[in-house]
This record gives sequence, C-alpha cells and structure tokens, in this order.
Amino acid sequence: MQPRRRVPAVRWFAVTALALAAAGCAPNSVTEQGEAARNLYLLFLYIAAVVYVVVAALVIWSVVRYRRRDDELPKQTHGNNKLELTWTIIPTVIVLVLFVFTLQAQDKILDNSGQADVNVTVTAFQWSWRFTYEGAGAEVLGTPESIPEMVVPVGQRIRVKLVSADVVHSFYVPQTLFKRQAIPGVTNEFDLTFDKTGLFHGQCTQFCGLQHTDMVFRVRVVSQNEYRSWLAAAARRGSAGQPGT
Amino acid sequence: MATTELPLPALPEAPHEEPGGIVDWLTTVDHKKIGLLYIFTSFAIFLAGGILSLLIRTELAQPGLQTMGENTYNQVFTMHGTLMIFLFAAQVSTGLANYLVPLQIGAADVAFPRANAMSYWLYLFGSLIVLSSFFVAGGPAAVAWTAYPPLSTEYFQGTGMDLWIIGLAVVGIAGILGAVNLVTTIFRMRMPGMTMFRTPLFTWGVLVNQLLILFAFPPLTVAFVLLFMERNFGARFFDAAAGGNQVLYQHVFWFFGHPEVYIIILPIFGVISEVIPVFSRKPLFGYRAMVFAFFGIAALSFGVWAHHMFTTGVVYLPYFSIMSLLIAVPTGIKIFNWIGTMWRGSITFSTAMLMALGFILVFVNGGITGGMIASPPIDFAVNDTYFIVSHFHYIMVGGLLFGMFAAFYFWFPKITGKLLSERIGRWQFWIFLVGFNLTFFPQYLVGLDGMPRRIADYQLERWSSANLASSVGAFLTGLSVLVFLWNFVVSVRRGQPAGDDPWEGNSLEWVTTSPPPHHNFHHLPEVRSERPAFDRRHGPAFAGAGAATDPERDVDRG
Repeated sequence: MQPRRRVPAVRWFAVTALALAAAGCAPNSVTEQGEAARNLYLLFLYIAAVVYVVVAALVIWSVVRYRRRDDELPKQTHGNNKLELTWTIIPTVIVLVLFVFTLQAQDKILDNSGQADVNVTVTAFQWSWRFTYEGAGAEVLGTPESIPEMVVPVGQRIRVKLVSADVVHSFYVPQTLFKRQAIPGVTNEFDLTFDKTGLFHGQCTQFCGLQHTDMVFRVRVVSQNEYRSWLAAAARRGSAGQPGT
Repeated sequence: MATTELPLPALPEAPHEEPGGIVDWLTTVDHKKIGLLYIFTSFAIFLAGGILSLLIRTELAQPGLQTMGENTYNQVFTMHGTLMIFLFAAQVSTGLANYLVPLQIGAADVAFPRANAMSYWLYLFGSLIVLSSFFVAGGPAAVAWTAYPPLSTEYFQGTGMDLWIIGLAVVGIAGILGAVNLVTTIFRMRMPGMTMFRTPLFTWGVLVNQLLILFAFPPLTVAFVLLFMERNFGARFFDAAAGGNQVLYQHVFWFFGHPEVYIIILPIFGVISEVIPVFSRKPLFGYRAMVFAFFGIAALSFGVWAHHMFTTGVVYLPYFSIMSLLIAVPTGIKIFNWIGTMWRGSITFSTAMLMALGFILVFVNGGITGGMIASPPIDFAVNDTYFIVSHFHYIMVGGLLFGMFAAFYFWFPKITGKLLSERIGRWQFWIFLVGFNLTFFPQYLVGLDGMPRRIADYQLERWSSANLASSVGAFLTGLSVLVFLWNFVVSVRRGQPAGDDPWEGNSLEWVTTSPPPHHNFHHLPEVRSERPAFDRRHGPAFAGAGAATDPERDVDRG
C-alpha cells in the first residue's frame, strides 16, 4: 500500500516543478507596462497550479483507492446539493478575484493618458515594418531580408501609433509582454516605457501571407543621450530606407 | 404508468430484410449506417489532417527551412486546421450521435431519416470540394483556417480559396440540417417513460451541441457568403478603403468560432459522463447539475467570442473577459461531478476508462490555461504564440481525442459485436498520453518565450530544443493512432465476442443486441430511472434503488 499512497505526492512535485519551469520561461518584462502583465500572469499561474494539483490528486486518489476489488455493488449515491453548491461558489469567487486583478493590470497596461516623450508611427506591411519618428523627420524602413530596428530611449514614454498598409498584422515584442493587431483602417495607439536598455526581438504574430515568417524586427533601447544622437543622424539620412543604425 | 413491456411505436413485425453491399450504403436512411459513414469519413479526414500536422512538426523540428518552402508550409497548416476543425472535430461526434442517440432514447430511427442521409452526403461532397483544392493550380488556400480578409480576398488569388469557401459553406449547411434532425429526434422520439431528466448524458450533450450548431453555423455561412462576394463580385464589406470594416469579419467569424469549441467538446463531455459511471459502478453524480452545466456553458459560449480579438484594440475587454472566465464555473462543476461519481465507486481500468481519466487530466490543463488567456493582459502577451496553440490543442487533441477514443472503445462492441483488444488498447493509451504531453507541454514554454504561431522557421536558437521535443512527441502521438488502427483491424477480424452488454452498461443501447437489429429493439424495458439497463440487470431487488436514484424525482438528495 505504501508506494501507492505516495502517488499524489509525486504528482505534486512533478506539477510544482513544471509550474516553476513555466514561470521561469515567462520572459522578464523590459517595460513598466509589461511588469503589470508579468505579475498578473504569475498570480494566475500559482492559482492554476493549486487548482490542477487539487483536481489531479482527487482523480488519482479516487482511482487508486476505489478500484474494483470484488463484485459487490458500491453504495448508489447520486448527488449532494451541498457539494454542488460548494464547487459552484468557490470557483466563482476565485474567478471574480482574478477578474478584479485583471482589471487593475489592464488599466496600467493600457493607460496612455500621460504626455508621450517619443511618438513613433509603426506601419506594418507585407512583409516588414516602417518606423516613422513624428516631428523628427527620421524613418526606418525594413525588408524581409534586412531586419529593421526601432531605436527608442530608455525610461521615456514611447507612444506607438500602429497602422497597416495592406492586411492584418500584429506588432509583438515578446519581452514587453504586449502585442497589438495592425488592422487596415484602424489606428491603434499604446504606450511602452522601457526600463532596461538592450536589443529585443520583435515579430509579426498575425499570419499575413507568404513571408509572414520573415516579418521580423528589433527594438534597440538606448540611453537618452545615445537616442538623441541616433535621431539626429537618422534625420540627416532622412527616409533613405536605411534599416536600423 | 408501470407496465413491464411497452409496445414499440410503428415497428415491422417480421425481421427487416437488410440488403447488403455498396448500393445499400449509398442509399441507406438507417441512422446507424449513416452514423458509421460519418465516423469513417471524419476519421479518414482526421488521418489526413494528422499527416499534415506531422509535416508541420517535421519542418519545425530544427531551425531553418528543410522540407518545404514557406508557401507549402502555409498551405499545410491552413489545411491542417481546416480539416481538423471543420471537417473532423465537429463531424465525428455527429457520427456518434447519429448511431447512439436513437438507441439511447429507445427510438427506431431519427425523426427525419432522409434529411439525415442528405446531411451526410452534403458533408461528404463539401469535404471533397475542400480537398479538391489540393489539385488546382496554385494549390489549396494559404490564409490560416480563420481566413481573415483582406488576405483571403484581395491578397490571395487562386481557385483553392474559392473551393475552400464553397466546400465549407456546403458542410455548414449539412450541419444545420443535421442539427434540425437530431434536436427534433431528441425532443420528439423518446420512448414512453424516457422523460428529459432520464435521458442519458451523452444524448444531453448532443442536444446542447446541436442547438449550438443551430445558432452558430448560420453566422458562419453568412461570413463565407460575404467573403465569397468580396472575392468574386467586388463587394466591399471588409475593405476599410471603401467604408467597410475588417473587424466586422473577425466578429462574425468568432461569433461562430468560439461556440464551435463547445460544439466539439460537449458531446465528449457526454461520452465521459457515460463511461465513468459504468466503470465506477455508480450512477452519475449530480445528474441535474451536469445538465444545467451543459446549458450554462452553452449560454456563456455565445458571449465570449471577442476574447479571440483582445489584441485588436477595438473590443470592450472587461465584458468578454468576465464572460470567458465564468465558463470555468460550469466546466468545473462537470469535473467535480465526475470525481464525485468515481468517489467510493468500484473502478475498473478498461481502456475506455483510462481514456476518460486521461481526458480529465489533460482537459483540466487546457481549461486552466484557457482561464489565463481570458484575462486580456495575459492574452496580450501570449495571443498568437505557441502558448495559444498548446492551449487549444490540450482542449482539441487532448479533450476531443481522449474522449473520442473512450467512445470508440466503449461502443465498438455494441456496433460490431466484438471487443477491441484491451491489451493493445492500454499500449495505445500510454503511448498517446506520453506522446501528447511531450508534443504540447513544451509548446506552452516556447510560447511564453514568445514564439509566434504559423511561422515556417524560427530565428531564435533557444526555441529549438522545445521544438524538437514537440516533434518527437508528435510522431509518438502518430504511432498511438497507428496502434489504434492495428487494434481496429485485428479486432474486427477476430475480436472476442462482446455479447449484448459487455460493460454492464446503464443506458438503453446495452439492452438490445450487438450489433442492434435494423429497427434497433425487439423489446424495450420499462424506463423508471436514468439507468434502465441497470434497473433491468439488477431486477426487483434494486428496483427500489433505481427509482430512488431517478433524477426525475427530487428526493433523497444529500
């Protein structure tokens, strides 16, 4: 009997390990807005892990403990209203709590009421990106072969104005934990405030035709000084179609 | 109201003469044969879609483009999704429903046998139209199974796309016709004594599933008609430059697309609710709660479609978020009632039961991640990544396939009179369980790390180990399907005779012969609870118990 009793415990460890692995794989966010998403994700993950462990333990316990040993018919119970009520109310409460946290995180992430420091119009097209710096006369244009870079300053509020030149695309930088569709006829605006410098991978996530796979870009987050000199140089070059720096 | 043998409605006295051969299969209006036609056709499509998925996993096993170009890759995943979702997943349960519902409610056939036959043939020809796109110039559509305009209209030329639209529209009409038939059958053809609250849970699942089809397929047909007009006749419904609206398509498509998930999974909930009580030797725990949960899920399913559109930036997030999160409640009720059924039961580990247990363990996983992405901030991060791919494969492959195989192992003896091999079945179960999780669990991780879906190649080296694991798992899953096919061939030829009731079943199909006669029943027992076969088997000693467990009577609760 002893080894059998240990099954739920083994399961517990396995699931906890997997949950931790999953948490480890959630990218560390590099924006203020992404931090809110990451915290919310971890909250969901922990609750999810507990729920899964409880359900799996109950399933495994009942199939181990109540496996058929003889021909006697077990007691024919057919329901219990108190239990039904319990497992209706508890999940409802959990869901409502999660919903409240969802609303809070969402307000932080989508808040674009503040004054933007940098305005970039991002145009998605088959199959690359154009980054236009409003009021600075600078533009970066990519192609599937030459990956464009969006250069932005750290610690400043970047307002992205997202449009599409042809089909539906989606602007996604995994480490911002954020994406938004670029839809023909729709202008989507959102703010990103990077709190780390570095080079970050970005990619179209909405299938957009033949070379969707190659619709890659990068975000280069630099210090504010570096940004100013980059912008000046880029403005001198104008919209010469230079991909990145 | 108690008589022991009830007269059957309008049945032939003499044994029905059954013509055999191909002509019979082509002209049949027998619900059992049509059910089998549905099952075989959809299973063949499942195999084709499965081969396409193995092509995808072969290409993604390592970085770089090895086996095919981008265009071919785009066609392969588009057709994988199309075959699996439209032509297999929603159809295989219609096949099971066709075969089983009349048996479970004690009817001789469905309400509209000819409409039923027409619905199958429309489904077959619609599917063939979709498949014919493989043979036209330019090949099949490469626009993803969601076919968002303007990619699917202005930007994708080629006949393949038009065949896709026409074929699926025909299949959609077949679905509506089939739904009218099955809903009418369940409402009008139940035998005397078979009240709604004595109807087996599989039949309830089918009823709610077909009601969803009735409400969700018409919008889909509309979406396809608009798409076709936009492609071919210059209509501008979705073209912003001409005052149209692309987001309109997304709304109409997902108004069908999300209920579709429940269309696929509700009959499977029904299967699980049949299998677990039989192999636990107890009645289903919380019968009424299970029925109400079906309706709860169905009602909510029409209020959640825009959670597929959180990242459009033009939908009201809180409403669709809370509605989606709330689906966890009725779904949880089902899970807990299954556990309640097993609790203090007497459990036998037949392959059908193992598949049902596998179903619970993987489905809960998919359900929980579904709760995560019902939260817009999390969805912003993982939408259109492999996290989503993994989530819905946990529901579709995990949920649907474990449930489908549970149904195959459970009802194969009724359909053929022979048992599927339990020994091969256990092999299949374990290979499938390991292969499935190896395929899809790494996809959660690589999705969290930002790998987008629908890409033929990946730029980041660190995604390669998860992808390799996933590909190995996919081939293991493929192997488990081969094991099933082997089991099928072996058992059809020389499987053990099953007898009428190999599992000590509960519902009426276990009362008749295996396979059932043309008109289904020679004799019908009295129906005094939701388990007429159980009541009959245990005789007068348990007659009282049977009546007491009758969900129709609201007594003896708790």
